[in-house]
Amino acid sequence: MDWVFLSELAINGALTGLLYSLFAIGLVLIYKASSVPNLAQGGLTMVGAYVVLALARDVGLPLWLAIPLAAVVMFGLGFGIERVALRRLAGRPVVMILMLTLGLDIFLRGTTLAIWGGTSRSMELGVSYDPLFLGDIFISRIHLVGAGVALVLFVAFMLFFRTRTGIKLRAIADDYMASWSVGISVERGVGFSWALASVVAVAAGVIWGEIQGVDQALSLLLLKGLTVAVLGGLDSILGAVIAGIILGVVENVGADFLDPLVGGGSRELIVAAVLILTVMIRPHGLFGRHDIERV
Amino acid sequence: MQEKKVEAQNILSMNSVEVLYDNVMLAIKGVSVQVPTGGMIALLGSNGAGKSTTLKAISGLLKAERGRISRGEITFQGADITEALAQKRVEMGICHVIEGRRVFEHLTPDENLTAAAPHGMSRSTLNAEKDKIYGYFPRLAERKNSQAGYLSGGEQQMLAIGRALVTQPKLLMLDEPSLGLAPFLVEEIFGILQKINKDEGLSVLLVEQNALAALEIVSQGYLIENGRVVMHGTAEALKSNSDIQEFYLGGGETDFHNVKHYSRRKRWLS
Ligand SMILES: Nc1ncnc2c1ncn2[C@@H]1O[C@H](COP(=O)(O)OP(=O)(O)OP(=O)(O)O)[C@@H](O)[C@H]1O
Ligand SMILES: [Mg+2]
Repeated sequence: MDWVFLSELAINGALTGLLYSLFAIGLVLIYKASSVPNLAQGGLTMVGAYVVLALARDVGLPLWLAIPLAAVVMFGLGFGIERVALRRLAGRPVVMILMLTLGLDIFLRGTTLAIWGGTSRSMELGVSYDPLFLGDIFISRIHLVGAGVALVLFVAFMLFFRTRTGIKLRAIADDYMASWSVGISVERGVGFSWALASVVAVAAGVIWGEIQGVDQALSLLLLKGLTVAVLGGLDSILGAVIAGIILGVVENVGADFLDPLVGGGSRELIVAAVLILTVMIRPHGLFGRHDIERV
Repeated sequence: MQEKKVEAQNILSMNSVEVLYDNVMLAIKGVSVQVPTGGMIALLGSNGAGKSTTLKAISGLLKAERGRISRGEITFQGADITEALAQKRVEMGICHVIEGRRVFEHLTPDENLTAAAPHGMSRSTLNAEKDKIYGYFPRLAERKNSQAGYLSGGEQQMLAIGRALVTQPKLLMLDEPSLGLAPFLVEEIFGILQKINKDEGLSVLLVEQNALAALEIVSQGYLIENGRVVMHGTAEALKSNSDIQEFYLGGGETDFHNVKHYSRRKRWLS
C-alpha cells in the first residue's frame, strides 16, 4: 500500500469535494426557504460564469471588479426570478415549483447557448498551475483556492443564519402561514434566498469555470451538487460541506481502486451509488432536519 | 356625530362581511362583529361555523388560502383595511395567533420571538419585549434555548401568543388557544390574557369552542353558526341563555337532549 499516494488521493478528493460543496450551498439556501431542490442551480452557475466573462472580456473590466459586479447582477436576477415566476406559484404543490426550476434551467442553457455559443471559453484567473507540494503530496492550487472560498462562504452563512434576517428566513422555511401571521414578508424572504444562491452560483461558476472551462457542461455540476446536498440533508449548510468532503474522498479513492477492475467510468457509478443509497437508507441525509413527531 | 363616536369606541368593526374560498365556497355570509377598544370579545361556534374564516378575513390571511372578501368591509381604528395586505395589517397592530399553535418548530423559543420582530425594531426594544413576554410566561424563559418543536402543547401555545406580542399588537386575535390543553393550563393562559388586557389595554378577539372558559374572561360574545352570527350579547346574558347552556356549556348529555339540540340548531339556521 502506497500511503503517500493514498493521502494524495484523499486530500485532493477532499478539496474537489469542497468544490462540490461550494455548488451545493446554493441548493441548500433555496431549499431552506422553499423546500424545493432548485434544478436550475447548474444553469445559474453557468450564467454566473458567463456574466463574469462578459464583464471581464467583452467589457474589459479587471477580474477583481468583474466578479463582484457579476455577483450584484446575479443577486438581482435571483430576486427577479422570485418576482416574475415563483410568486405566482405560492401555495401550489411543491412538484410544480420543481418543474418550474427545471424549465428555468433549460431556459438558462438555451439563452447562454444563443448568446455565447457552444465553444468553451477560459476564465484565466491567474492562479498558477505549478504544483504545490505538501511533503511528498501534490496539491492543485486552484482546488485549494476554491476550497478556501467554500469554507469562507460556509462560515459566512452560518453566521448569517443567526442574524435577525437569517432567523426570519429559517422561520419562513418552517411555516409560511405562521410567518405571514406575524408580518414576515415570505415573498421577499424567498426572493432573498434566490438572490443569495445566485451569488453563490457566481463563486462556483468562477472556480469551476477556471477548472473545466466555461461552456454548457458547467450546468451539469447540478448532478454532483445535488448528490452532495441530498447526502448532507438538503437543508443543512454544515451537511453540504461535510457531505462534499465525503463524496470527494470516496469518489477519488474509490475510483482509483475500481477503475482498473471495471475499466474506467467508476466515478459516475460511485456518485450514483451515493445518491441512490442515501435516498433509500437515510432520506433526510446526514444532517437534515427530521420533521418533529408531535406527541 | 353618532357614527364617529362608535368608531372611536370600537377598535375593529366588521360589517356584513362575506368570504368566498376558491371563488365558489361561501364560508361566511354577512358577519358583523365589533371589538370595543380595550375590550375582550369571544367568538363562539361549533366546527365549520366560520370562526377561523372570520379571523382570517380580519388578519388578511385569507389570500394564502385562496379566499377573498366578496362583500362587506372591515375598519380598524377607523381605517378601511378590507383590501390591505396581511403584512400591512400586522404593522397597523392586528396580530392573529392562528389555529393549531404553529410555532417555528426548528427554531428555539427565543428565535421564534426574534423572527416576529417588526422591521426596524431596535435590539434594545426587542430585548425589552422579550423580557416582558418571559415575565408573563416564565416557563418559556426556562426553555428559551431548546427546540420549539419539542415544547409541550401548553408551552407552544404560550410561545405562539408571545410571538404575536412581539409585533406589538393593539388587537390580538386568538384561534382556539385552549384546544387540546388541560383545564389548569387553559386557566393559566386565559388568566395571562386577562392580565395583558388589563395592564396594557390590549383589545382581544378570542375564538373558542370552549365557551365555558371563554365566557369567564370576556365581556361580550358572538355565536356563529353556519357562517352567520346567530346570537350576540354580554357574557352574562350568553351564560344564562338556555340554548347556549345546553349546547356549549356542557348541559344535558342524554339522547333526548341531542334530539333537541338538532332541532334548535335547525332553528338557528333558518
Ligand atoms: N381554505 C379553504 N378552502 C375552502 N373551504 C374552506 C377553507 N377553509 C375553510 N373552509 C370552509 O369554510 C367553512 C368555515 O370554516 P372555518 O375554518 O372558518 O370554521 P371554524 O368555525 O373555524 O371551524 P373549526 O372549529 O373546526 O376550526 C367550512 O365549511 C370549511 O369547510
Ligand atoms: Mg377554526
